[in-house]
Amino acid sequence: MMSSVPGPDKKTKLLVYTIEECPACGQKTKRAFAVGDYVTKDGAQCTKCSSPTKVSLVYAESSKPSGQ
Amino acid sequence: MFVLTGIALQALPGTDSGTLLTLFWIGFILITFFYQTRIQSYLALNDISRGLNRLKVMKDKARKEAIDYLVNVGKAPADPAQRVDQFLDYVTIMPVDIDPAGLVGKIDHIVTTNNDRVRAEVGALLGQSSPVTVSISENLLEVATSLNAIHKIVRHFYLLGKKTNSYFTLIQLQMLMPMIIQEADALLNAVDSFKVGQPVGDGIGPVVVSKYMLGKEKRVVAKDTVMAITEYKGRKLYVLKADGPMAYVGQPGVAMKKIIDEMGIKPSAIVMIDAALKLEGEKTGEIAEGVGAAIGGIGVEKFQIEEVATKAKVPLYAILVKQSILEAITVMRKEIAEAADKVVQVLNRVIEEKTKEGDEVVVAGIGNTLGVAQ
Ligand SMILES: [Zn+2]
Repeated sequence: MMSSVPGPDKKTKLLVYTIEECPACGQKTKRAFAVGDYVTKDGAQCTKCSSPTKVSLVYAESSKPSGQ
Repeated sequence: MFVLTGIALQALPGTDSGTLLTLFWIGFILITFFYQTRIQSYLALNDISRGLNRLKVMKDKARKEAIDYLVNVGKAPADPAQRVDQFLDYVTIMPVDIDPAGLVGKIDHIVTTNNDRVRAEVGALLGQSSPVTVSISENLLEVATSLNAIHKIVRHFYLLGKKTNSYFTLIQLQMLMPMIIQEADALLNAVDSFKVGQPVGDGIGPVVVSKYMLGKEKRVVAKDTVMAITEYKGRKLYVLKADGPMAYVGQPGVAMKKIIDEMGIKPSAIVMIDAALKLEGEKTGEIAEGVGAAIGGIGVEKFQIEEVATKAKVPLYAILVKQSILEAITVMRKEIAEAADKVVQVLNRVIEEKTKEGDEVVVAGIGNTLGVAQ
């Protein structure tokens, strides 16, 4: 009889990113998530038009390039 | 193996291997016939016991993570371990349902009492701390409590099945075990996202509506719930979400009641955006539209929203973002986050189609708003 209890996951490593978006020109910058980041938080200056950016998304991506 | 036994028997001098083999087979069949359930119970017991050990490891880990967070991030002045253990065994007694009239109000009362008590206790434990830290501690303790309860219940049925030698109890438990472990695993994984304050998949509703609230004046309309007034193509939007970036879910039901009953606003539509559990095989981040109150939980908020909408005859529209239970309570996946822009388009279209210029519309982003301010 096969065991019905699954073994511990071989977890796919998730990398978490913060996306900063410039409200003026729409440029999006992706950087690694830092503790304290949240959506709508003020971000760094836009590299294109030097307006202040805001964090628009925080999300995780699988570290495998193929996604899953 | 049986072939080998046969060969071995043939090698013995003076035995008729054919007869012995027949006897062996008859014995084998009789044993499986009479002891089949015993054997299966034994296998089930082994299986469950392994699962139970995993559940124990999980609940201990969740407890430790909660304590570590209270000490390291929350800077609890005293050792919180003893209080946390008391917390894990705290019970909420649900009201009787043999006379169901007014039941939702009673459940609401008990749940609210419990939530207030949790916050007060965590607050006392931490001395003074930021609301984000307190809300995260609340959530971590909730996860630890859930895992503790799951472990206890599974252990109860395991021991009961073992004691009474009940084949059916054990087999049922064994069949449920993979699902139980999966759910427990999801809960434990949630700890990692919660303790660093990352938005979870369930926060997609708040992410979407935060785009409408940005830069507008916010006011508190219910416990942990904020509202902003904005405009879209001539419609006045009353946008609601839980107060972020704390790990709150707020009280959208109370908020809508206040907007419609107390503030005297007559919306021509209520649009709710929420995460929805996908079925196996469905894609994460898929968007579904529908009618009705899109909100999960114990049912109190859903009841309140349905009631206020029915009384004022306001149509309820829902926009759902599909995800698994694991994705809903752990850090938001890219597929879900990227659905946000599409949801905005759908929401704008729904507003344009279902209302006309000059109308008022209530838009609510439902879900845990950890890591999502407004
Ligand atoms: Zn820019």
